[in-house]
Formats: sequence, structure tokens, C-alpha cells
Amino acid sequence: MSAGAAGVGIETESSVDITELYAAHRLSLVRLAVLLVDDLASAEDVVQDAFAALARRPDAVRDPSKALAYLRVSVVNTARSAQRRRRTARAYSPPHDLSPPSPEDTAVLAEEHREVIEALQRLAPRQREVLVLRYWSNLSEAEIARTLDISQGTVKSTASRALVALERAMQAPASTGKEER
Amino acid sequence: MTTTPERESDIERRLRAALSARADLVQPERLAPLAPVVPLRPRWRSPWVVLATAAVMLLVLGVVLQGLGRDPRSDDVAPSPDGPRVELPDDVGRGWEPTTLSRTPRLDLDGDGTDEKVTFRGEPTEGYDGRLRIETTLSSTGEEAYGIAEVGTTLDSNALDPIDADGDGDQELVLYFDDASAVAGGGHPLVFDLRDGLLVQAVPQDPDLLRRGQVPVPGSRTEHYEMVRIHDYWFEDGTLWSSRSVNAYAAGNMTLLRPETVVVDAWTWTLDDAGVLQPDDAGCLRVGLESTQPCGDDTADELPYVSPVADDTFGAGGSAVFDVGYRFTARLEAGDPATLVIEGEDGRTLRHPLDVTDPRVSTTQPTSVMSDGASFYVTSAADPSYAQVLVQDGDVLRALRPTGEVELADDDTTRTWLTSNGALVTAVAGDGGTWRTWLWQMVSGTEMAALPSATVCFDDPEDPATVRRC
Repeated sequence: MSAGAAGVGIETESSVDITELYAAHRLSLVRLAVLLVDDLASAEDVVQDAFAALARRPDAVRDPSKALAYLRVSVVNTARSAQRRRRTARAYSPPHDLSPPSPEDTAVLAEEHREVIEALQRLAPRQREVLVLRYWSNLSEAEIARTLDISQGTVKSTASRALVALERAMQAPASTGKEER
Repeated sequence: MTTTPERESDIERRLRAALSARADLVQPERLAPLAPVVPLRPRWRSPWVVLATAAVMLLVLGVVLQGLGRDPRSDDVAPSPDGPRVELPDDVGRGWEPTTLSRTPRLDLDGDGTDEKVTFRGEPTEGYDGRLRIETTLSSTGEEAYGIAEVGTTLDSNALDPIDADGDGDQELVLYFDDASAVAGGGHPLVFDLRDGLLVQAVPQDPDLLRRGQVPVPGSRTEHYEMVRIHDYWFEDGTLWSSRSVNAYAAGNMTLLRPETVVVDAWTWTLDDAGVLQPDDAGCLRVGLESTQPCGDDTADELPYVSPVADDTFGAGGSAVFDVGYRFTARLEAGDPATLVIEGEDGRTLRHPLDVTDPRVSTTQPTSVMSDGASFYVTSAADPSYAQVLVQDGDVLRALRPTGEVELADDDTTRTWLTSNGALVTAVAGDGGTWRTWLWQMVSGTEMAALPSATVCFDDPEDPATVRRC
């Protein structure tokens, strides 16, 4: 399918249908994003941006089977940028209230899970990404390596250290949690 | 995709369950209508509408995205919303005095095959710490090109070998900023690219990845040490590399407790069209004192030296000769208490009563604690948990008081021993059969403290020689 008119349309490969991708994967990608950026509003923004990026670069994905992987990379990268912006808060006007997860976000999260999620939020971004991709997305080390553009060895070592850091973060009060990489 | 491993640890099971629970809180009906900054996105609320109007949506999306071109939100796959920007150099310093101590770099800045000669003018300041004006005449056009650098001194240009970081065939001038305040040396490289007739300093996308020295881990400082990661940069065949140790190491008391070979994450740097140095993941390296190799399957640091154990001691009536460093003999005179007598080659005689039953004095000095004079590691045949370090202070011996996070003890959960190279090691039992090793250092005239060195495992905790990775 292609679309274009008056010089403002975009063209896509006929085999990559962004609309179908959107319908099929928006929810799962928002779920991935919410694990990376903590709040739903930002997560939706991240995913919206990921689809927008794909639409802007239709040539980036010619193989439909790789579209989801491409979107996943985009979500991870955009989430990391969102987190970085949030940390630095450099002349940046947030599009949403970037406060911690709202009560409705966490109200029904069991205490045992909340403890883990809060500890996860205190990890270094790369550690968090590796853990989320491994234990929620169920990606292999090779897939994580491709997603994060790092070596498989780094994935392995990062995952190992991240689990240790997660346990420590769960044992330590939130205010004293150290960032470990 | 992988399947869930059959054997997962408790933390892995908890993590998997928590992630699933958190993600499941996001249900389709909870997804908000799309952002109002995109007028046509509400059409996507209904998947039926979306599916029925795919072509229209794509057209509209194109319009929307053009409108979003200047939107502050990222919509790049590899976004850099906080990306650095290069700054053009001020045309200052034409009248500054040329530096005379600097090596004159010669490199092909304009890519015409002929090297340009680069000269420097130093900004006059009282501390010789002003800016440098970089000047050259381009061989291709005969025009002057200039730039401004801050390398921490005007006495030298700190020029390094040139690189071609953007792969365009010309060369970039490389200087370095030398951080004289860093304990073990520090700083970062400065790359200057010829752009529109100016020598423009490239800016790293992530300056923290392009530096040299020991970089503290935030929040890790204790009274006697802080944890640091080792950063470095270097050049190989015209390519700029940098690295950062995967693990952090204790630094304090003018000492860095690093293994001889450390594992680092490495990057190579390329210069993009915007003048930004971009890091490319170069994988894992094992950096030794004399060589650097790709990690391969070995992504762990070298084990610390915790063996062989120096187990040769003398008791009452015994003696030993110490002929490394301060030369002396020591003997243990029987009595209650027994007395350690030191006779130095400089004619000094020191006597020190040992207030412990059946003392044993190691024939190896604990030089990791103190090496500037006589020092002793004393244990007791009657009390296996007893350990003491004595150090010479002029004409007397003093027992150092252990301080800090670790006790000087030798029992089931805290093991202490002296290695044959004089390192006084204490291993503290952790979870899952792990042990954290600590190395003792003298931190004041009367105290010593242990600094953490590594987490290891032992096949036999009674035998340090069985140390292995966990």
C-alpha cells in the first residue's frame, strides 16, 4: 500500500502496514514502555512516538517480520530518552505530570510486586532494560543484544549484575538505593 | 523467543511475576485517547475505524508528522533530545603570544594530501591556565583556519596523534585536557574538525563515556574509601576508543584495589555530520596491565590475589630475619607475657610485650598495611580467632586498632590471613556461599581499615588457595 497526496503523504512498503501493526501491538508496546518509564501517560507517548518514527521512516523496515523488533527498539530508546529528560529536567517542559505512578496505577498491585517494581525503578537504565526484556518480553540474550545494540556478553553480565542490584535495592530503603551498573 | 527457564532463582520468579502484574494493569480500556497535539489521532480510538481507513490514516499521519517536526518530544528511533551542540569558536587571541614549548602538529586537516602546520597562541593568565588559539593555514586554499581550546594549560598544547573520526579522508586534530586535580590522573580528549574554515571542537554525545581516570560511583563514599570505575581512552589506527570498567573498585588511602585484569565496556567514536562524537558499542574487553583482548566468553575480572597463605611463623624462643626494606631481626622471648624483640641494622632495639597466650609471629610482614619500617602479623596458637598487626613508630611498636566496616577476626564467618606477598586479607561470608574479600590498609598512625576488593567463592573456605569465581 502506498499513500501520498499534495506532497505531504508518506509512502510505505506494501508489506509493512503500520495500521495493522498499531492495532496488533500498541497494547503490548505500551505495557513494555510502562515497565521502562513507570507511568502510563509517558508510556503511551513513548509508543506513539515509536509509531510516528516508523511512519516517518518507512524505508527503515522492509521486512514485516522485523517491524515489531524495530518498534521495540524504538520504544526502548525513546523510553530511555524520556527517562533521561526526566532526570536532567534541562529546560524541558514535560508533556504530562511526571510524578510517580498514580494511585490508580498501583492501587491493585500487590505489595510483593510493588516492592519489586519500586526496586526495579532504582536500577540503572541499562540494567532495567535488560531485566524487562528478559523477564517480561522473554527475549533471548541474542534478541536483547540486538534490541539494545550491545554484545551478548554484555547482556549476560548486565543481567547478572542487575539481579544482584535488584535484590540489594529491595533490601535497601528507597532513599539510599545506589545506582549500580 | 525463549521459554521460561525451568530453574529460576527466587528473585527471578518474583521479578517475572511483578513485571507481569504491573504490565497487566495496562488494559486496553485504560489507554488514553491519543494526544491532543495530534488532531487526527482520535480517529485511532476505534480499531474498526483504523482498520477501515488505513490508507487515509497513513496520509493523515504523514501530515501530522510533518507538523510534529519541531515537536520537542522525540520521534526518532535513536532519539537524542538532549543531544549536545557544537559551538563555533570565538575569533579571539590573534595577539596572544605563540607557545614555544609545544610540539607543532602536522596533519592533513583539509584532506588535500598535504599536511597543515598547526601553531598555538596562549591566553596570558597568571596561572598559565587560559585558552589556546589554534591556528593553521590551509594548504588547499591558503586561508587561515582557527579554533579555541582549553587544555588546562598554556604551556603545552597537549597534542596527540590525529584521527579521522568521520571517515571523510581528512584528519582531525586531537588535544587532551589534563585534569591535574585527579588523584590518579584524569581528563578527556578534545577533537577539532575543520568545518567551514573553522577548527570546531567536536562534542561527545555522552562525555561520561569519553574520559580517563577514576570516576566515583555516586553515593559510594565511606570514611576510608569510595567505589570508582576506571575510565580510559586511547587511539588505535586512527580510531578513538574509550572504555569504562564494568565493576567498581575501592579507592582510598592513595590506593586503588583493582585486579590486574579488569573487564570493561568499550566504545569507538565516530564524528557525525553535526559535529557530535557518537559512541559505538565495541563490546567487552579484558584490560590487563600490559595487554587488552576481547572478552570472548570470559566476562569476569581476574580474581584478586588472596593466596598463597604465609603460614610460616615463630613462637617463643624463635626468631626470623627480615631483609626486605628495613632490615632487622626479630625474636620472641618467652615470658608472661612473651616479648617481641627487634634489632634493626640501624642499631635500634625495640621491645614489645605480646599480651596473648602462645603468640605466633609471621615471618612475612603485612606490607599491605605498612611497609615503611618493621611490621608484624601476630596470631595465637591458643586462640585461633586472635589477630593483631604491629607497626614500628620510631623506637616503639604499636598495635593498630582495626576500624571501618570489617572486624579483624578469624572465625567461621570472618576469615583473616596473610598472603606471601604481605597482603592482609579478611574474607566475610555472604549469601549463597559467596565471600567478600577485604584488604587491610593503615589509615592513621594508630588505625587500620579494610577496603573491599572482590566477591569470590571458595571450594574450601578453610583454604584460600581454593578461591574461584562464583
